[in-house]
Amino acid sequence: MAIKITAIMIVLLLAGLPMMVPLLLAAFYGFYELFDGISKMEFMVQQMLAGIRPASLIAVPMFILAAEIMTRGQSANRLIDMVMKFIGHVKGGLAVSAAAACTLFGAVSGSTQATVVAVGSPLRPRMLKAGYKDSFILALIINASDIAFLIPPSIGMIIYGVISSTSISELFIAGVGPGLLLMVLFSAYSMIYATIHNVPTEPKASWSERIEAARKAIWPLGFPVIIVGGIYGGVFSPTEAAAACVFYALVLEMVVFRSLKPTDIYKIAKSTGLITSVVFILVGAGAAFSWVISFAQIPQAILGSIGILEMGPKAVLGVISVSFFVGCMFVDPIVVILVLVPVFAPVVKAVALDPVLVGTIITLQVAIGSATPPFGCDIFTAIAVFKRPYMDVIRGIFPFTLILIAVSVALIFFPQIALFARDLAFR
Amino acid sequence: MTDTPFKSLLPGVLGRIDSLIGRAEVVILAAGVLLMAFNTIGNVIGRFIFQYSFFFTEEVNRILIIMITFAGIGYAARHGRHIRMSAIYDALPIRSRKGMMILITIITALTMFALCYFSVGYILKVAHSGRVLPALQIPVYWIFLWVPIGFAVTGIQYALTTVKNIIEKDVYLSTHIVEGYDDDEIEI
Repeated sequence: MAIKITAIMIVLLLAGLPMMVPLLLAAFYGFYELFDGISKMEFMVQQMLAGIRPASLIAVPMFILAAEIMTRGQSANRLIDMVMKFIGHVKGGLAVSAAAACTLFGAVSGSTQATVVAVGSPLRPRMLKAGYKDSFILALIINASDIAFLIPPSIGMIIYGVISSTSISELFIAGVGPGLLLMVLFSAYSMIYATIHNVPTEPKASWSERIEAARKAIWPLGFPVIIVGGIYGGVFSPTEAAAACVFYALVLEMVVFRSLKPTDIYKIAKSTGLITSVVFILVGAGAAFSWVISFAQIPQAILGSIGILEMGPKAVLGVISVSFFVGCMFVDPIVVILVLVPVFAPVVKAVALDPVLVGTIITLQVAIGSATPPFGCDIFTAIAVFKRPYMDVIRGIFPFTLILIAVSVALIFFPQIALFARDLAFR
Repeated sequence: MTDTPFKSLLPGVLGRIDSLIGRAEVVILAAGVLLMAFNTIGNVIGRFIFQYSFFFTEEVNRILIIMITFAGIGYAARHGRHIRMSAIYDALPIRSRKGMMILITIITALTMFALCYFSVGYILKVAHSGRVLPALQIPVYWIFLWVPIGFAVTGIQYALTTVKNIIEKDVYLSTHIVEGYDDDEIEI
């Protein structure tokens, strides 16, 4: 049964069916085999609805809504502008700014696609003009946007937290360390790149310009304070922080900046609803699927066959890393999380791994995989957004992948990179 | 997503009903998200300023998320917005793509119709149990009534897309979205 379920899923996924269908049909087949026919199928519907029931999932639409309001209003641009004014003049300054802006934007939005658009659209033309090669720019934008996965809020972390019953607050705080480390390493690579290729440096902004930019960005800088500060300080649950962000974003864009009208908010709410629905039907289908495979003890069968229980905790983390990395090279990260987290759940428990560390590592792998050929989903976002052919988009990715793999290995051997802030805040 | 008025494939009264459903989906999506936001924000304000949490917030959000999800899957089907792994599909020549798309839409439609049928069974079971939401005192099965409707509407959209692909020359992702259609506005 394990082989058939896996085969159904992979074949249908690769055939290009809407991603909910392979999950649903694999679950269908599982229920059919387990209960001898279709007599218990309403139980599958029950599992689907139970999957979208957890109250903490409400944070997902709320963070998406807040990010959409900020991107269509002025908050996002003001943040990027401030970063540019302060570090645009160093060697490779535009590239370093892009990495920093992605990190900062990641702190207000949970989605990499939003980050690609928000940071990439204004910065790419400027970088092209400054003399960076397009292959470098595209690779930088795709990979730096993935920092948004790790910096709270993170949609992937919310979903991992819900399905593995792990504290989302702790996951959020644990993501900050690896996220910042990536930003530093990407910036270092950008500086080296700019030195080797002799990209001219940008003129330095005057202090009056900087103060002006900082003044303009002071309001949007409230978002990371609400999210990280609120959760770190134990003031907000993630859902409450998300609601506070929506409220803050509405006040900023409608009252302070006056950049959005009520009709704009209606449109933003509609597109938020659409994204939410597409994600939640996957979460529901994933819940039914995960119930089937857990009930049939398929994870134990698969993991037993590779002898995972005889491995040490570090080797297990290695196997988990590779699996998620490879998974995300092919399909959407949310689907990978929904499918693979239940598969590894028994072994995480058996080896007594810290679920927060596992969640952080998974999130990092998801980020790497999404930016890695052949089918990482960020590559396709970039193709759609920047209208460049596939080969152009992937040409410069390799050095970034190397950095990401280095950080993954570091995270397995030095878990404190992630857990330091968590322990400080919650232990 | 451009707000091109949605034109149904179906003739006469059926077509009008379909267009009405399409419009209702948009309203449910937008209003649902806004209500959820106000409800959650209200609860946060209540808790911090008046030290009082609304007793109904969680249940209202649960109702809304079911509404949004099941109105949204129909909307996404109507506008070709469900996530797919289309890299292999995209590399195929047009004739194979057309055949594949017909197969994909048939399988998806059948899956949706089956789920519609099973969810009716589930609702009957819940209705029979007589459970009510603890805070709002509404029968639980009421909040699930959207589920079979959403599956049915989605199934019908995919079935219509199958028909469209059979009668038209181009390859259609949904009843009115041609594949490879290049939208200038990038939607995230």
